[in-house]
Amino acid sequence: MIVLTVRAEGRICACGCVAEMAGARLGRILAALSAGGDAWSSARLCAVCPGIVGVNGAGVMLMSGDIPRGSLSSTDDVSQLIEELQYTLDEGPCVDAYSKDIVVAEPDLADPVARRWPAFTPAVLQAGVRAVFGFPLRVGTVRLGALNLYRDRPGLLTDEQHADALVVADVAARWVLDAQAGAPSGAVAKELEAGADFHFAVHNAAGMVSVQEGISVAEALIRLRTFALGHGRLLADVADDVVARRLRLG
Amino acid sequence: MFQAADAMRSVAEMADTLVDDYDVVELLTGVADRCVNVLGVSAAGVMLTSPGGSLGLVASSSETMRLLELFELQAQEGPCLDAFRTGERVEHEDLQAESGRWPLFSAAALSEGFQSVSALPLRFRDVTLGALNLFSVTQAPMAEADVMVARAFADLATLSIVQHRASAEGQRVNEQLSAALTSRLIIEQAKGVLAERAAIDLAEAFSRLRAYARDGNLRLTDVAQATVAGTLDLDPLTWARVVRW
Repeated sequence: MIVLTVRAEGRICACGCVAEMAGARLGRILAALSAGGDAWSSARLCAVCPGIVGVNGAGVMLMSGDIPRGSLSSTDDVSQLIEELQYTLDEGPCVDAYSKDIVVAEPDLADPVARRWPAFTPAVLQAGVRAVFGFPLRVGTVRLGALNLYRDRPGLLTDEQHADALVVADVAARWVLDAQAGAPSGAVAKELEAGADFHFAVHNAAGMVSVQEGISVAEALIRLRTFALGHGRLLADVADDVVARRLRLG
Repeated sequence: MFQAADAMRSVAEMADTLVDDYDVVELLTGVADRCVNVLGVSAAGVMLTSPGGSLGLVASSSETMRLLELFELQAQEGPCLDAFRTGERVEHEDLQAESGRWPLFSAAALSEGFQSVSALPLRFRDVTLGALNLFSVTQAPMAEADVMVARAFADLATLSIVQHRASAEGQRVNEQLSAALTSRLIIEQAKGVLAERAAIDLAEAFSRLRAYARDGNLRLTDVAQATVAGTLDLDPLTWARVVRW
């Protein structure tokens, strides 16, 4: 995305028309973001999506390497579930948007265009989700995660909504980098941690399971995930039970 | 001689390059070469500021050009430096030995057969990042259409540099975020290990890990890492009274 950059360099005739459109779109989205009057936050970034893009809910997932790190924010329980499921199952629109670096759209999960996400699809359908979209969070070649959007009715985003979502994802990605750039060395920026769920309980549980089972923490993480998959439960819920000592995997 | 189709193709090719990951030096060398091929100038070169603020030579269309630009930097006078310092275009100027704006530079350029020069700043908003030098073996000024294409080349070069620098900075910040998150997660894992080993809750485990790090003048991250790796003797943390305030 060079939306912001192109806009600043209005002199480039070849891109002038595109820049004009992107500029107006960007202005509208920035205005919506600032409308709350408060400082920007990941919650605010997600909260503007239903109004701008015409979806029921939105969430932002951070990724690193090949793994979801967790959720920066989500607007509602369903969006949270969509993220929790992807964290547990390692499949879904955000996982694909990030790992393939493409926009992912599934306009009707009940009659999907592609057979994918065998565990994710039935679970979100049950929660009333019909369409899901994943937009990569990236700045230049730097990939950070994905913006997740859902609807309770089938159908693609319109071209306008799609273009708006691209800009929201672009703004979100820049916001993440800007926030982290101001963080003390070795720390996650406070703005990013506020409202985020990096699944600390899962890592607490992995530490506990490693002692219980006499295995490495890495193996314990796999054991936890396998247990969750085998029992049709969210990894976060399994972890909570382990931490509360209600559950032993052995 | 300016040809619209060639110019458009060049601009399109350069814009294409920006979509993918690219090497800035290679791209700017392409800009210099295109100036020669498309604009009918005899030689072209690009200078850029380093992070320290000093101007350096990045790309030249020929070895003669490279040496002249190095001379310009050494003599601290010439069209490229003026464009950079003022942030304004240096309009076509016929070179005259030992007079005019750049006596030292002019003498050197004339001895290499160049008769006229112009230069464009590589400017992004209020910041001048460098300059594009255009040299000609004739005294004929560039056609106005050619100047516009040169301007487009300079703008694209500027965007490529700005985007690349932003990307490199973004990469660094993203890696920092990833590392910070990883050490955070390792601390959570270590809390789980100690909580289970000592049959205590997570908050107490964290207090003990932190106190242990403080007493031993160790970094919490290192203590956590060793706990998770199993290389730390956890007995003192499990059984002994831990001094805390």
